[in-house]
Amino acid sequence: MAEDESRISIAKTFAVKPKLRPTSNKATPTPESKYWKSFKIPKDIETTPSKSFIYPITSIAFSPIAPHDFAATHSANITIFSGKTLEPKSTIASAFADSATSAAFRCDGKLLAAGDLTGTVHVFDAKSRTHLRRLKGHSAAARLVRYPRAEDKFHLFSGGDDSVVKYWDVTTETCLFDLLGHKDYVRCGDASPVSDDMFASGSYDHKIRIWDVRGSNSGSVMELDHEKPVESVLYLPSGGLIATAGGNFVKIWDVIGGGKLLYSMESHNKTVTSLCVGKIGKESGEEAQQYRILSVSLDGYMKIFDYAKYKITHSMRFPNPLMSVGFSPDCSTRVIGTSNGTFYIGRRKANGESDGSGDVGLGDVEIEPQRRVLRPTYFRYFHRGQNTKPSEGDYLITRPKKLKFAEHDKLLKKFRHKEALVAVLSGKNPENVVAVMEELVARKKLLKCVSNLDTEELGSLLGFLQKYSTMPIYAGFLTRLTNKVVEMRAGDIKSSDQLRVNIRNLKRDVVEEIRIQQSMQEIQGIISPMLRIAARS
Amino acid sequence: MITGGKSFVSSPPAFSNDAKRLLVCTGNTVSIFSTSTGLQISELEGHGAPVTSVIVVPASTPASKVLCHCWTASLDGKIKFWDFTAPELMRTIDVRLPIHSMVIPNLLNQPTKSNGKSPNLFAYIYVEVVKQKEGQPNSSCGQIRKCNLTQSRLAGGVNLAETHKPGCITISPSGKYIGICEAHKLRIWEIPTKDSDNAVYKKIRLHHTKTFTTLAFHPTERVVAAGDVTGRILLWRGVGHRTFSTGDKFINGGLNKDAEERPGVRGDDDADSCTTWHWHSVEVNVLFFSSDGAYLFSGGREGVFVVWQLDTGKKKFLPRIGSPLLYFTNSSDPSLSSISCANNRIHLLRMPSMEILRSISGIKLPSSVSDIYEGSGSGVFFDHTAGLVAVPTDNYSVQFYSLFNDCEISEVQICERNHQPGDEATVKVNLVALSRDGSTMGTVETRVPEERIGGLASLKFWACGSQNKDFSLSTVIYEPHRDAGVSSIAFHPTCPMAVTSSYGGDFKIWVRTPDTRLKDQMLQSSGWRCHAVGSYKKKPMTAAAFSADGSVLAVAAENVITLWDPEQNILVAVVGDVLEPITTLSFVGKSAYLVSASPGSNPQLTLWSMSKLSTSWSYKLNAEDVSCSLDGSTFAILALLPKTSESVEPAEGTLQGVDGAILLFNVENPVPLATWFVSKAQGGKLGFIQTSPKLEDEFADVKPDHGLLAYMNSDYEYVLFDPYGEKDHNQSITREQNLSNLEEKEKIGYASIYGELAEFSVEKDQTQIPYIPYEKNWETIFSGPSHKLAPLTKLCLDFLESSLERRSVTVE
Repeated sequence: MAEDESRISIAKTFAVKPKLRPTSNKATPTPESKYWKSFKIPKDIETTPSKSFIYPITSIAFSPIAPHDFAATHSANITIFSGKTLEPKSTIASAFADSATSAAFRCDGKLLAAGDLTGTVHVFDAKSRTHLRRLKGHSAAARLVRYPRAEDKFHLFSGGDDSVVKYWDVTTETCLFDLLGHKDYVRCGDASPVSDDMFASGSYDHKIRIWDVRGSNSGSVMELDHEKPVESVLYLPSGGLIATAGGNFVKIWDVIGGGKLLYSMESHNKTVTSLCVGKIGKESGEEAQQYRILSVSLDGYMKIFDYAKYKITHSMRFPNPLMSVGFSPDCSTRVIGTSNGTFYIGRRKANGESDGSGDVGLGDVEIEPQRRVLRPTYFRYFHRGQNTKPSEGDYLITRPKKLKFAEHDKLLKKFRHKEALVAVLSGKNPENVVAVMEELVARKKLLKCVSNLDTEELGSLLGFLQKYSTMPIYAGFLTRLTNKVVEMRAGDIKSSDQLRVNIRNLKRDVVEEIRIQQSMQEIQGIISPMLRIAARS
Repeated sequence: MITGGKSFVSSPPAFSNDAKRLLVCTGNTVSIFSTSTGLQISELEGHGAPVTSVIVVPASTPASKVLCHCWTASLDGKIKFWDFTAPELMRTIDVRLPIHSMVIPNLLNQPTKSNGKSPNLFAYIYVEVVKQKEGQPNSSCGQIRKCNLTQSRLAGGVNLAETHKPGCITISPSGKYIGICEAHKLRIWEIPTKDSDNAVYKKIRLHHTKTFTTLAFHPTERVVAAGDVTGRILLWRGVGHRTFSTGDKFINGGLNKDAEERPGVRGDDDADSCTTWHWHSVEVNVLFFSSDGAYLFSGGREGVFVVWQLDTGKKKFLPRIGSPLLYFTNSSDPSLSSISCANNRIHLLRMPSMEILRSISGIKLPSSVSDIYEGSGSGVFFDHTAGLVAVPTDNYSVQFYSLFNDCEISEVQICERNHQPGDEATVKVNLVALSRDGSTMGTVETRVPEERIGGLASLKFWACGSQNKDFSLSTVIYEPHRDAGVSSIAFHPTCPMAVTSSYGGDFKIWVRTPDTRLKDQMLQSSGWRCHAVGSYKKKPMTAAAFSADGSVLAVAAENVITLWDPEQNILVAVVGDVLEPITTLSFVGKSAYLVSASPGSNPQLTLWSMSKLSTSWSYKLNAEDVSCSLDGSTFAILALLPKTSESVEPAEGTLQGVDGAILLFNVENPVPLATWFVSKAQGGKLGFIQTSPKLEDEFADVKPDHGLLAYMNSDYEYVLFDPYGEKDHNQSITREQNLSNLEEKEKIGYASIYGELAEFSVEKDQTQIPYIPYEKNWETIFSGPSHKLAPLTKLCLDFLESSLERRSVTVE
C-alpha cells in the first residue's frame, strides 16, 4: 500500500507524443473486404503473362475440374492457363479464322468450346488441343457458347449476332433446335446449374429469354426485360435466380417466382461487361461459404455484391476498362481481363487449408508424440510453465509497462533542447518532429534552438520544412515557423550554397502549393453556387 | 457551516515527540495528522487568524515523552499553549502584534534544574509592527521581540532587529543561535544559556551579493548554510569564532587570520571559510542539516530533494516530486521526516532511503504564476450532486476534492506533459465542466504560442469510469475553434450534448455519438463530434448556458444574448444590450429567468425574463461569479466591493480584508434575501451544492430542494453554509467520518523490525481445521498432509473409538 501511494505521489514521466490523429472506420476493414483483398498477384510469377496480349480479353472460363485451369479468349486465340502455377500452358491459335469468343468448358473439363466471329463454334480437347468439331450454322458472329452445367456431355448451345440461339448435338455436329425469339444480337447467356435443359440468353433487344429444350422449340419459356442491351447473364448457384448485366446496372430476377425483378444494383458508372459467381471460401466466420456476384465494368471497378442482402460488400478499382471476370470453383483464384489485354490475376494464399482439396488420407491417424516427463535434471524443467496461457478466470497481474524513451525524450529531460531537435530531425517520423517542436514551444525554447543550429543542422531543418510545411495537418504550425526561421537565419542562408538550394526548393514547393490552393479556390467558386442552388431546391 | 480547503503548507509543520503525529498549521487551526495513516486525527481550534508557528515541547526525559504539549503563535497576536492529545487549550498569551514566526530556544537547550526552580521560558517572535511615520502613514516593518512565556509578557525594550518585512526565524538544533535572512545578509544571534529579560546578545552578520532565501545551522559545529535566489548554497565554516567564543582562549589565539586565509568570506564577516555549491537552477527554499551533521538536505523550486554529503559535496537526489519544496521537518524518529510542497502536499519520507511513505494532500493551491490568460476564468467547477469541486492544478491535471469531507478524491491527468515546477506556465488547463450527472467531463487546455508560433487549444471530453471519478479520455479535439480561444464550455442537463463558445466569434454544439455495436463484436468507440456551428454577427462569444430542461441555449455574443434551439441550431431570439461584454450567463433553476453578469468599467448584473424577453431588473454590480440553485428560483452572486467603499462606509472597514459580498436573490424581488461579507473575493467562486445524504440529519432543517451554498475564495479556501438558515447560524459540523481516532500500539523490539506477526492462537487453529470424526474412519484418519491432521490426542481418541465396536445405537 505504501509503495502504491508513493508511486502516485511521485510525478509520472511522459514521453513526447505526437497529436492524436482521427482513425477512420476504414482502418478496420470488414472481414469480407479483407477476404477479397487477400487475392493478390502471386509472388512466384515473375513475368505477368499479360504482357504478350494486346487485344481485349473477351471471355474467361474456368475448368470445373481441379486444378481448375482457365481459358481466356483474346484476338483469334484461346490461351489455357494452368490452375496451379497460373502460367500459360498452351495456346490454340490456328483454328480460328477470326476473333475467338466465349470459351466454355464441358462439365467434366475435358472439352473446350468457343465461338468465333465468322459464326463457327469450335470444340477442342482441352488437354491435347485437338480440334474435334466445327459447328457451323450461325450466319453471323457466334458470341455465346455454353455447355450445360449439370451432367449433359453431348449438347451445347450457342447464340449469334443473327439473333438465333442454337442447340447443338456435338457428336454429330447437328443443330437440334433453332431457338427464335430475339430481335437483336445475342451476346450472352448461361446454362442453369441444376437442370441440363434450361438456359438463358441475353440479347441487345433488352430481353433475356429462358429456354427449355424439353418442350417445343417454338419459343422461350420466359422473357425478362432488362431495359438495356444485355451484356451478361448469370444463373446463380441455386438455379432460381438470374443476374443480368447491361447498361450501368445489374438486375437480379427470380425465375421460379415468375420472373420477378428483385433488385437492381446501380453502382457502376459505365457499362457492366461481365458477371461471375464468387464464393467466400473461408471455413469460419459469418460470411463463410456464401456466394457473391462479381461484376466488372468499363469504369474499371470490380464490385462484390451480396445478393442475399442486396448490398455491395467490397469494391476494387483497376486502371483499365474491365471486360471479363472469372472465379475459380475452389475459391483460390480470381482473374479479370481488360480491354487492353492485361490480366489481373489474384490468388489467395492457401495457408495450409489442404483439407478443401480432399487429398487428406483417411487411413493414417496422426499419433501425438508422447511428451517427455520433465525432470529437474533437464534444462527445460526450469523453464516450464513460462508460456502457459492464462485461463478464463485467472486474475492477471501485469508487469508495469516500461515507458520507452526515444533519444529526443532523454535529451529533453536533460534540457538539451537543441540536441533533442537535431536528434528528432534525423529520425524519419514527421509527427515526432512536430511534437518535439511543440514541446519546445511550450518551453519557449524553439526559437532559441533555431538560432543555435549550425549550418548542417539548419540544412536538415530546412529540408524538413520544405517537405512538410505544405502538408495540411502541419501547415498551420510549420509555415509560421518557416517564416521565422528564414527571417532569423537569413545571413547564414545567404552565405551557404547548400542552404540556398534548400531555400530554392522550399520556395518552389510553396509556389506549387499556392497554385494548388488557387485552383482549388476556383473550383470552390464554381461549386458553391451550385450547392447553394441544390440546397434551396 | 463547513470550512475547508486550507493550505497545509503556509508554515512548517511539527512532529510530536513520538513521531506518530504531525501538527500542521491549517489556516486558523492546527490539524493533527497520524503519520501512519496520513489521516486527520484532531484539530486545535482557538486562534482568530492564521497560525504561523507550531512548536512541540520536546521531551527531555523518557517519562515526559507521553506529554504532548505545544506552543502555537498566530497572526492574531496570541501565543497559545496546548495539550494536543486532549485537545485542550491550556494558556493564552496576548502579544497584540501579528506574529509571523516564533522560536523558543530554551526548549532545546534545557537548562539544568540545579536550583530547583525552573527559569523563565523565553520565546523570540518575529512580529509585524505598524510604525507611525510622518510622510508615510501606516508603514509596517518586522521586528524580532522577546516574550517571557512564563510571565506572559513581552520582555521590555528588547528589539533584536528591525527589518522591512517580517519573515521566518531559524533556530539552530541546539537552541544556541537564532538567525534570519534579510535581503543580502544573514543576521545571527547567540542566545545566552542563562536567558533573562535583559540578557546581552552577541551578534554577527554574513554578507552575500544575492538575496538570501533560507538558512540552516549545523547541529554541532559552527557551520551555517544559506541558500539564495539563484540556487546557490553557501556554506560558512567556523562562523563567529571571533565574536561568540570569547571565553575560549585556545581558539581565539589562532583566529587572527588575514582575509586571504579565509577563502570565500566576504569583507569582515566572522567566518573561517565559505564554500559555494551550485546545483539548484532556481531559488533554494529548503536547507536542513541531518541530525548527525554529516549531510545537508536542500530543495527548491525545481522540486528535487538533494542530499549533500557535507565533507565531500557528493549529491543524492529524490527527483520528480513535481512541485516546489517549501519546508523540511525532521522528527525524533531518525527515519521519518516530512517535506512540504507548494502543491499543498506533505510527503512523509523514510529518511536514509529517501522513499516517500505517504502523502497528506489538501486542495491544490491556485497557481502562483500570474495568470497569463485574460478572461478565461480560474476553471474551478462545482459538481452539484456529488458535493465535489474540480480544481485545475499546476501539473496539467484536475483534482476532485470533496467539499464535505475536505479531502482529495482523485486526480485526472489532462495533458500528458512533464511538469517542470520552475518553469513559466505555458500550458494550462483553463476550463473544466462536468455534466449534470457527473458522467462526462469537458476540459480545455491552452498552450501559449512562442512569438505567435505553435499556440494550441485542445478540447477534451472524458468519460467517468466508476464512482470514484476516475475519468478516461474519450475524445480529443485540437483547435476546436481554429486559432481562437475557448471562452466557456457547458453541458446539456439531460442528454449528451455540450457547447463551447469562442472568442473567434462562433460557438459549437458537440454531441456524443452513441455506442454502435457492429456485427462482429467490434465496439465502435463512442466519441464526441460537432453537431452544429453558430455565430452571431461575427461577435466574440463570451459565455454559454443551457436552460434547466435543455430546450434553450443562451450564448452571450459580447453585449447581447442570443437564444438558440440547440437541436435544430436555429436562432430563436436576441435579447438585451449591456455596456460591457457578458462573462457569465446562467439560467435560474427552472424559472423562466436568465441572469447575466458583465464586469468591467461599467459593470452590470442583469436578470432577464425569458417569457417577456426583456430585462427584469439590473444592478450596477461587479459580479465575480454567479451561481443558481438547481430547482428553486434563487441565485447567489459574488460581488466585488468597489475599492472606495471602505472609506465611505466605515462600518464595514472594521472588518479586515473584506473585499466582496455574497448576495442571495430571488428572481421575483430585486432586494437581496441575504448578504454575507467575504474576503479574497477576487477570483472567488460560488456554487450551490446538493446536501449530501450523509449530512441529511445534521441539516434536517434544510429543505431538500435548496441545498447548500459553497464559496471558494481566491486561495481555494472554501466555506459551505446553508443560505436559508439563521444569519448567525454557525453550526459546526464535525466531520466524524474524517477524524478517525487512530491510535497505534507502540511497536517495539521484534515488531518494530519485522512488523506485526499474524495473530496466532492454538484454539483458533483448531477451529480452522474442518474436522469431522467419521463413524468408521480408522483407514482415513491418518491420511492427508501432516499439517492438516488434527492433534494426536484427538486422533488417538477417534482411532480408538473407531476401532472399538459401539454397543448403543443412539448416543445422545
